[in-house]
Amino acid sequence: MAARKAWETFSKSLIEEVHRWGCLKQTGVSLRYMMEFGSKPTDRNLLISAQFLHKELAIRIARRAIELENLPYGLSQKPAVLKVRDWYVDSFRDLRAFPDIKNMIDEREFTEMIKAIKVRHNNVVPTMALGVQQLKKSLDPKIVNEDLVEIHQFLDRFYMSRIGIRMLIGQHVELHNPNPPPHVVGYIHTKMSPWLVARNASEDARAICCREYGSAPDVHIYGDPDFTFPYVPAHLHLMVFELVKNSLRAVQERFMDSDKVAPSIRIIVADGIEDVTIKVSDEGGGIPRSGLPKIFTYLYSTARNPLDEHSDLGIADNVTMAGYGYGLPISRLYARYFGGDLQIISMEGYGTDAYLHLSRLGDSQEPLP
Amino acid sequence: MEVNITKALSVCKSLMKDIEKWGCLKQTGVSLRYMMEFGSAPTHKNLLISAQFLHKELPIRIARRAIELHSLPHGLSLMPPVLKVRDWYLDSFRDLISFPEIKNMDDEKEFTEMIKAIKVRHNNVVPTMALGVQQLKIISEDPDKIDEFLDRFYMSRIGIRMLIGQHVELHNPNPPPNRVGYIHTKLSPVNVARNASEDARSMCYREYGTAPDVNIYGDPDFTFPYVPAHLHLMVFELVKNSLRAVQERFMDSDKIAPPIRIIIADGIEDVTIKVSDEGGGIPRSGLSKIFTYLYSTARNSVDEYENCDLGITSNVTMAGNGYGLPICRLYARYFGGDLQVISMEGYGK
Repeated sequence: MAARKAWETFSKSLIEEVHRWGCLKQTGVSLRYMMEFGSKPTDRNLLISAQFLHKELAIRIARRAIELENLPYGLSQKPAVLKVRDWYVDSFRDLRAFPDIKNMIDEREFTEMIKAIKVRHNNVVPTMALGVQQLKKSLDPKIVNEDLVEIHQFLDRFYMSRIGIRMLIGQHVELHNPNPPPHVVGYIHTKMSPWLVARNASEDARAICCREYGSAPDVHIYGDPDFTFPYVPAHLHLMVFELVKNSLRAVQERFMDSDKVAPSIRIIVADGIEDVTIKVSDEGGGIPRSGLPKIFTYLYSTARNPLDEHSDLGIADNVTMAGYGYGLPISRLYARYFGGDLQIISMEGYGTDAYLHLSRLGDSQEPLP
Repeated sequence: MEVNITKALSVCKSLMKDIEKWGCLKQTGVSLRYMMEFGSAPTHKNLLISAQFLHKELPIRIARRAIELHSLPHGLSLMPPVLKVRDWYLDSFRDLISFPEIKNMDDEKEFTEMIKAIKVRHNNVVPTMALGVQQLKIISEDPDKIDEFLDRFYMSRIGIRMLIGQHVELHNPNPPPNRVGYIHTKLSPVNVARNASEDARSMCYREYGTAPDVNIYGDPDFTFPYVPAHLHLMVFELVKNSLRAVQERFMDSDKIAPPIRIIIADGIEDVTIKVSDEGGGIPRSGLSKIFTYLYSTARNSVDEYENCDLGITSNVTMAGNGYGLPICRLYARYFGGDLQVISMEGYGK
């Protein structure tokens, strides 16, 4: 696909509208608000929610579409990035073309439409990754990963915004579920046990490790299985899975050819007043201090990039142990989305500790880059 | 404590001119490796070179600090303890620039005695500055500026005292084996950690009647070149904090206090020492405070500070001045390392 500016693909008036909406102020929603609002999914509330999203999604999507047009180093012209940009402009058009939502019939149609929008954007992450890869190939080899600071900052903002958009859409769609499981409000589990989620995520990670290496180190989880708090299980699962996957790989690589038994990964779940903290510790040899800043940059990976092997970019169904270089930065965005954080400390020659802080108060507004 | 405000005002003009001139000159840093290699051959020629270098370098560093002490924010410069410290810096500067050119070993010996005395004069800078900051009742805006100043100031002090101490020690006719001045070329971090933990535990014992265990994991035979006094200070401080947290948490409980764990890892770039406790943690909102000066969760005990050489006090208490962590981090950073604290709120029940 030849590089085309937005105005070559879409009508001038549409582009003008994108620019107008991209300047409007975004409105953040907190976890607590989502929970309280969603606990009574009456027709009236669903209508209010749809009307809110009708405006809010258009604003957030327009902002990203504008940014995609103005990326440094010629990233905006890479075929993969143009594809993503078109998805954003198409979705904006769909939203703006939808008439005012006046009754439950409109509301139902609107919900179907934003469901389709979410599906359209399913592969944004690997597609953008390909775009950045295409950029790296065309750059002067002297420019190193760390030089592309602006690109990393853009991707952080971009993916954070995506998390928010998908959370809002997903939450709204889920509220239409006539038979929700107990204690669940949309995507939010009001009594989520972090211990249980950690156990499930660890098992998934160990399964992948087994598939790839033939064996997997043990994972021990310490904490109170009965302790619960409100959170989005899918987010927590993703983060713990990523961290345990990294730890398993590090330990496996270190002890594969050794006689010694691979030391187990230890997970500690601590509940405080402000935060729930989950620590994932391994004795996989650690990361030198000079290498630490790299681990949160996009496309840094100590393994081969699996993208090179996929010419037709579908969904990366085959999750591999390594290779994307997206796991940690995106996990950190998920943590920060609800006011938490992810910190990595390493002891070179010994192992690494990852600290996942999840804010308990639920009052933080979504970050709105 | 004398209040010498008149002295401050009447500092002689030509001295101030010299201070300003020297304070603008470029400082010269020295690496651990250089100190070690240079000091391993303490010949007369080398001692002379070292003295001549210090004769120029020390006044530059001291003048810079004297200038800064003059122009601190929030009126800190006028607090009597700060004036006292500033006078120490002015006196030391004057001693250095009035010392004649060092031409032979007699000059060198006299110079060494003089800088030894300078170091002693500055022994109590830390608690005295602490008192000065304490006296500042109102800090309207930008409390960060004071933290930034104190970080620079104390870091510079670490450097000055390292240079002086190193030079003085090189005159020791019978140095212990594997020593180059303050530097131990085969320092075992496991041994230092053991000693520092024992010291911290005895202090905990004195104050609480018991002390949690400290378990140390690492290879006792692993060694690397470092300054034992610095490492001891840092590990002591960290273990002290951990012991206190665990003690306070488990004092009135039936459960046995969980031990402090120290892990020592040797990598290619770094040696990393981790001190872990289950003392209940620090909430994320409180973490930024722990590296500020004068933050402390216990009563303030500035008045109990005695002789402060290298920041080690004789009557050390378990807590109170909030100087432990920030200064430890400076020591770590002095030779290119770092100190990080991460906490899990609620861990340890």
